Amino acid sequence: MNNSIEIKNLNKFYGKKHALKNINLSIKQGMFGLLGRNGAGKTTLMKTLATLHQKKNGEITICDIPIENAKEIRKIVGYLPQDFSMYPSMNVACAMNYLGILSGLNTTERTQQTENLLKKVNLSQHKDKKVKELSGGMKRRLGIAQALLNNPKVLIVDEPTAGLDPEERIRFRNLLSEIAEDRIVILSTHIVGDIEATCEDIAILNDGKVLYNGTVDNLLNTAQGKIFTKVTDKKELPKLKKELIITSMHTQNEKIYIRFLSKCSIHDAQMCEPNIEDAYMLYLSENGMYPALSINDLGGEQ
Amino acid sequence: MLFFQELKKTIFSISYILIIIVLIAGLYSQDALSFKDRKISEPQVGENYGTTTKEVPEIIMPAALEQLWGEFCENNYKTYPIGLIKNIKLNDSEQDKVIQIISTITGMEKDVILKAKEQFPNNFSDTVLNIKTNINYSDFKDLMQQIDDILGGGSSYNKDALISFGIVPISYEEALHQYNLAVNEDKITGGYARLFSDYAVAMVLSVLPVFLAIIIFIKDRRANMSEIIYTKNISAAKIIITRYFAIITAIMIPVIILSYISNASVWGLYNDTRLDYLAPLKYDFGWIMPSVMTATAVGMCLTTLTNTPIAVVVQGFWWLLDINIGIKSVKSGYSLFRLIPRHNASTVSYFRTQDYINHFNSLIANRLLFVGLSICLIIITILIYEMKRKGKLNENFQLKKAVSNFRNRKNKYST
Repeated sequence: MNNSIEIKNLNKFYGKKHALKNINLSIKQGMFGLLGRNGAGKTTLMKTLATLHQKKNGEITICDIPIENAKEIRKIVGYLPQDFSMYPSMNVACAMNYLGILSGLNTTERTQQTENLLKKVNLSQHKDKKVKELSGGMKRRLGIAQALLNNPKVLIVDEPTAGLDPEERIRFRNLLSEIAEDRIVILSTHIVGDIEATCEDIAILNDGKVLYNGTVDNLLNTAQGKIFTKVTDKKELPKLKKELIITSMHTQNEKIYIRFLSKCSIHDAQMCEPNIEDAYMLYLSENGMYPALSINDLGGEQ
Repeated sequence: MLFFQELKKTIFSISYILIIIVLIAGLYSQDALSFKDRKISEPQVGENYGTTTKEVPEIIMPAALEQLWGEFCENNYKTYPIGLIKNIKLNDSEQDKVIQIISTITGMEKDVILKAKEQFPNNFSDTVLNIKTNINYSDFKDLMQQIDDILGGGSSYNKDALISFGIVPISYEEALHQYNLAVNEDKITGGYARLFSDYAVAMVLSVLPVFLAIIIFIKDRRANMSEIIYTKNISAAKIIITRYFAIITAIMIPVIILSYISNASVWGLYNDTRLDYLAPLKYDFGWIMPSVMTATAVGMCLTTLTNTPIAVVVQGFWWLLDINIGIKSVKSGYSLFRLIPRHNASTVSYFRTQDYINHFNSLIANRLLFVGLSICLIIITILIYEMKRKGKLNENFQLKKAVSNFRNRKNKYST
C-alpha cells in the first residue's frame, strides 16, 4: 500500500463560494504543514480529507483508497478538529474507552491503547480527571490520544496549538514530531513557528489556492537576499512601517530592531538569513496579499 | 459495550433525573402510583352499578334531540373536528336548515318551533317538542348526520357518535359478569396494570421520551463531539440503534419499577384470589413501550435532521392533538392511528374487561403500527446521520437555513 496522499484538481464550494480552488498536493510520510491565514481554506481541506465534507470535483486518494470509500478511509485516518472537546463530565479514561468503542477496538485493545496513548501524551496521571478539569493543552493532548486510538496511517490535526501557552506549544510540537516518525501527519496552522519547528514539507494556502508546495528549505531559498535587518528608533518607525513590509521587530532600550522584506538594500540595512516567517510573508506579498495585511495577520507567533 | 456506555451517559445526567421526577409527578397526580383504596368487590343485589352506553333508540333519540334543542336555541354547537373543542355559531340560512330538520323530527311547523324557542330556550322538557311516531331510528340517524354535516363534522350528532346519548344503568347480571371477567380474565392485577398504562401513556410517556432523545444529540453538539464521532469507524446504524435502545431502556426501567409499585399496592387486598404477577410487565411492554418508542424515534429523527429541539414542538403538538381527540372517547379509544390508546376504566366499572376484550385486536393493530412507525423513523435517522457524517446535509441545508432564519427573526423582534 502506497503510504501517501494524492490530491488532484480538488474543488470545493460552499454554495457560490469557491472554498478550494483546483488544489494539487502530494503528501508523503512525515510531517506536512499546511500554512495559511484564517479563512484560507485549511480547515475545509482537512475536513474533506477526514471525509466530513464532500468535494465538488477532483480526486483524492489516501494510501491508495479513494476518498469516496469513506468507510475504509475512516479506518486509517485519525482526526483532531480545531475545536476539540469531549463530554465535560466524563473522565479521561472513560472518554478514551468510549471513543475506543466507537473506533471498533475490543476490550483488550482499548485497555492497551488507552494506557499506551495516555502515557505517550503525558496524561496517565490525569486519567481519573474529568474533561472539564483539564487545561487547554491537556485537552489537545487528549485529542491527539483519541485520534491515535485506531493506530491510523494518517493523522489530521487542525490548528492544534492555537491558544496554547509557549511551553505547552513546544511540548505539543515535539509530540507531533514523534508521532510522525511512522505515519503521515498533516498539521494545519496559521502559526509559522509550528511549521518551522516540525515540518519538512509544507503548502501555503490562501483564498482556497495553493501558493506554495515544497520543502521548507526551498521556501527559505526563495527568500535569500530579500530579507534585511535595520536598527531604528521610535521616531522613524511609523515612516518605515509605511514604506516597508516589516516581518518582525523587537525593542531594546531606545533601539528598535526590525526585519523587513525588500528586493534591494536600503540605507543602514543589513542582509540576513531568512526564516520561514519571512519567506511566508514574501509569498503573500508577491501574490498581492500585502499591504492588505497588518502585522497581526502576518502569521507571526503570538 | 457501547449500549452500556450510552445507557450510563443517559442515566447519569440531571436531565434524566428531571424526567423521572416529571414521570412520578404525572402518575402521582392521577393517583396511579397506588390503588390501595380502589378495591373491587363482588356486586350485591340492589347496589348502584354505574352506567354504560348502549344503542337503545328510545333513549338515544330524545336525549340527542334535547341537546340539539339547547344548542339550537343558544346557537352554540360544540364540535371536536380535530380533537380540540370548537364552538360553532351558524348563520341564519344554516339555522333554517336545523329548524327544518327539527321540524321533520317533531312534525312541528317552523313558526311554532321559533315560538317555542322564544318561550323555552333552555328547557326542553317544558316544550312541546316530541319525536314523530313515524320517524324510525334509521331516519333519525340520517337526520342527525345532516346536522353533523352542517356543523362541519366532529359533533355528537355524527351517526357513529350518537351512541354516547344511550346512557343506561348497568344491571346486576351485567355487573356480576364484569366482575367475573375482571377476576378470571384480568386476574385482577391486569385491570390495575391497564389503568396504570392508560394514565402513564396519556399523561407523560407519549411525549417525555422526546426530551431524552433531543438531549443526547444536543449534548454531542455542545461538547463538539459530533465530528469526532463522525470520523470513527462505527457505522451510523450501530450508533443510532444503540442509542435508541439505550434511551428506551433508560425510560422503561423506572416505568417497570413504578408499574410494579403501583400494582403491588393492591396485592394484599386480594389474598384469596389468584393474581397475575406478570401483568404489569405485559402492559409495560405491550401498551406503554410502543408509545415510548415512537416519541423517542421522533426526537432522534428530527434532532438529527435539524440539530434543533424542534421535536419537542412536533411531539408536543401531536400529544395535545391526540389527547384532545380522546376527549370524546376518554373512557376507551382504540383507533388505529391513536398515539395514546385509552381505556380509562377504574374499579367502579370493574375495569370494563369485556370492552377491552372486544377491542383487543384493534389495540394490537394500533401498537404494532406504532412499533412499525418507530422502526421507519429510526431507519430514516440512520440515513440522515450517514449523510451528515459525509457532510451532505450540513452545508446549505434548506431546513437548517429556515430554522436559522426563524431564529434570527425571533431575535430581531425580541430585541
